Amino acid sequence: MTYILRRKSVILLICIFFAGFIGPALMGGHPSDVVGAPFARPVWWNSQLPLSSEYSVGNDGAVIEWKKLPPEIFALNGKITADPGSRVRIIWSTTEGDMLLDTLEGSGIYWINMDGRDMIFKQKLGLPLIGKSTEHLFPSNGRYEIRIEGASETDLILSLPGGRQGLLGTDQRGRDILTLLIYGIRTSLTVGISATLIASLLGLGLGLATGYIGGWFDSAVMRAVDVLLSIPTLPIMMVLAGLWGKGLWQLVLILSIFSWMGTARSVRALVLTVRESPWVEGLRALGAGRGYILWRHLVPEAAPILLANVALGVPGAILAEAGLAFLGLSDPRLISWGRMLHEAHSFGAFTEGAWWLLVPPGLGIVALCLIFMDIGRYLEEKIDPRLGSAKNA
Amino acid sequence: MNRRWFWGRILSSIGVLAAVLVLNFILFRIMPGDAVGTIIDPNFSPEAKDRLRELYGLDKPLLEQFFIYIRQMLTFSFGLSFLSRKPVWDELLSRLPGTLFLMASSMAFSAVIGIWLGIKAALNRGRLAERIVLRAGAITASFPGFFVQLVLIMLLARTFPLFPLRGSVSIPQPTGAVSVTLDYLWHMALPVISLTLMGFGGWALYVRNLMVKALGEDFVLMARARGLSEGRVIYGHAFRTILPPIITILLMSVPGLVSGAVITESVFSLHGVGTFLLEAVSGHDYPSAGASFYMLALITVISNLLADIAYGIADPRVRVGGRDQ
Repeated sequence: MTYILRRKSVILLICIFFAGFIGPALMGGHPSDVVGAPFARPVWWNSQLPLSSEYSVGNDGAVIEWKKLPPEIFALNGKITADPGSRVRIIWSTTEGDMLLDTLEGSGIYWINMDGRDMIFKQKLGLPLIGKSTEHLFPSNGRYEIRIEGASETDLILSLPGGRQGLLGTDQRGRDILTLLIYGIRTSLTVGISATLIASLLGLGLGLATGYIGGWFDSAVMRAVDVLLSIPTLPIMMVLAGLWGKGLWQLVLILSIFSWMGTARSVRALVLTVRESPWVEGLRALGAGRGYILWRHLVPEAAPILLANVALGVPGAILAEAGLAFLGLSDPRLISWGRMLHEAHSFGAFTEGAWWLLVPPGLGIVALCLIFMDIGRYLEEKIDPRLGSAKNA
Repeated sequence: MNRRWFWGRILSSIGVLAAVLVLNFILFRIMPGDAVGTIIDPNFSPEAKDRLRELYGLDKPLLEQFFIYIRQMLTFSFGLSFLSRKPVWDELLSRLPGTLFLMASSMAFSAVIGIWLGIKAALNRGRLAERIVLRAGAITASFPGFFVQLVLIMLLARTFPLFPLRGSVSIPQPTGAVSVTLDYLWHMALPVISLTLMGFGGWALYVRNLMVKALGEDFVLMARARGLSEGRVIYGHAFRTILPPIITILLMSVPGLVSGAVITESVFSLHGVGTFLLEAVSGHDYPSAGASFYMLALITVISNLLADIAYGIADPRVRVGGRDQ
């Protein structure tokens, strides 16, 4: 059994498996946490754009040396304590003069929650309502300072999410793509593997039954196989997803209903050839029952085919899941690679030119499919060495 | 053509269609939830609910509903859409040409390019050309089509704006028949190119395998010995014998083609049956969803039947012989 562990695709799959099922536990934070500006680029892309930064603003204010393009967002949050009689002024001193961000009066404690994207904020400062306010707040490179006048105690945080964030950037809501990508592994693997397992067991059962029992049952099931193979599956899966709901297990069920046909056919073919073989006849002559022959002899005979079929079927299930999720027919709360592509497609990745929203999940799907196909082919060769030599011939 | 075989094919198509009809009926009537649950407000009085059920024929016994439904499906009277309150059939009719065009052109391109490359690969066994074709075929099969399409949009419509980002027509639509046609072709170019890109690999692999086998047969040796030109040997003799299995693969690719068209239409926001189905499914518009699923299945069944008939014409054993294929 150790030789299979030396196969590169198996090692890769194990790594992906660990990343998908253990990674989320190690990563801390939830994938839907907003960590940066929307559509922030990956950190290694375009070093002209600033990284995200945060400054704590104490009683003396804070001084910032700015040497990059303006940040994406200007946000000031926290608490100011002051004498109710005094007037508190929050001043943003730029390279081109001072800006009065806010004047506070008449209370002891002020909770500050300022965001440069707010219309009211822009209006108050007389900035253009359309466009980024940070371009006016950071007119050029140089020394910037935030000053709080008239406060007795200041405890503020100035956060400046930049145009670069995280290893793979952020999506339209400012969520980290890498985190989403790692959480998506679990969905793809769970759906792909469990749907294929259920479908294969269904195929095994029906294949054994039709092959061994034969008669009207055989012809009925084989007719059903013909029909299911000759109608397009995606539309019917879309209809089912719309009617049944979009949860993870509904998706698994829908996928498995439409992917058992191939397994059933190959198991049936195997049973038909084995059924008439001398050793089965011998077993029958010894008085073995139908169930005994099926369970103890035909199932083990079919098991290797089944194993290869599972591995070769997973890519199809992963692609189908991704397709349905891409069409928006999956649970919006369920993070999956197809869902990421759906959101990239519907929420303006193209107008932003945000390739980093498309490439990671897409390549993830491709990688998983290639890995499972390689494992499947490897298993097939192990079962039937002729296949390996035929490929080399 | 062999008459018995021909009628057998027609009967089998009718069988598939009947199964689709039953499936469609079961899906929408016996599924959990009331088919008109979405348009019946829970605050309606019981009489109003009953009247609505009567309007949609849901008060009748199931068997009677089934016969009414079959009649509706066969006469293409699908009723009114829940969302737009317009006849579903009109909407479908306006969308059908787009879907058919997309399917037919992408299939034609991928089949022609794939067959050509497959033959080239078979003639160049062991050389670089063959290896490139085989590798390309294996790679395109494992890429999800919509991902490739998204990347193509990003590259060819966004970074280098050669093609439109979305839609079937420009807004505002140009005037004049020629410019309308050109505009339509311009919008369909990227979808068709991407589907061809995804489709040709499988064809090339399949044709290459068939062709390698056919070129090793005795009749090819005989044809060469007779001094026929290489072109005649390949296209007149070897290719002629692999035509029936090629038609079989054509037949088997139709369901996948329909699925591909559905997803492509949503990627490019094209005006077609697939986007209609998606809108209907997302909006719980059951009459439209059922009707578009039925239309897509009907397209599949009819194309299967056409391919079957082509098979009968291409395969002399079926055309002349009396054996039931």
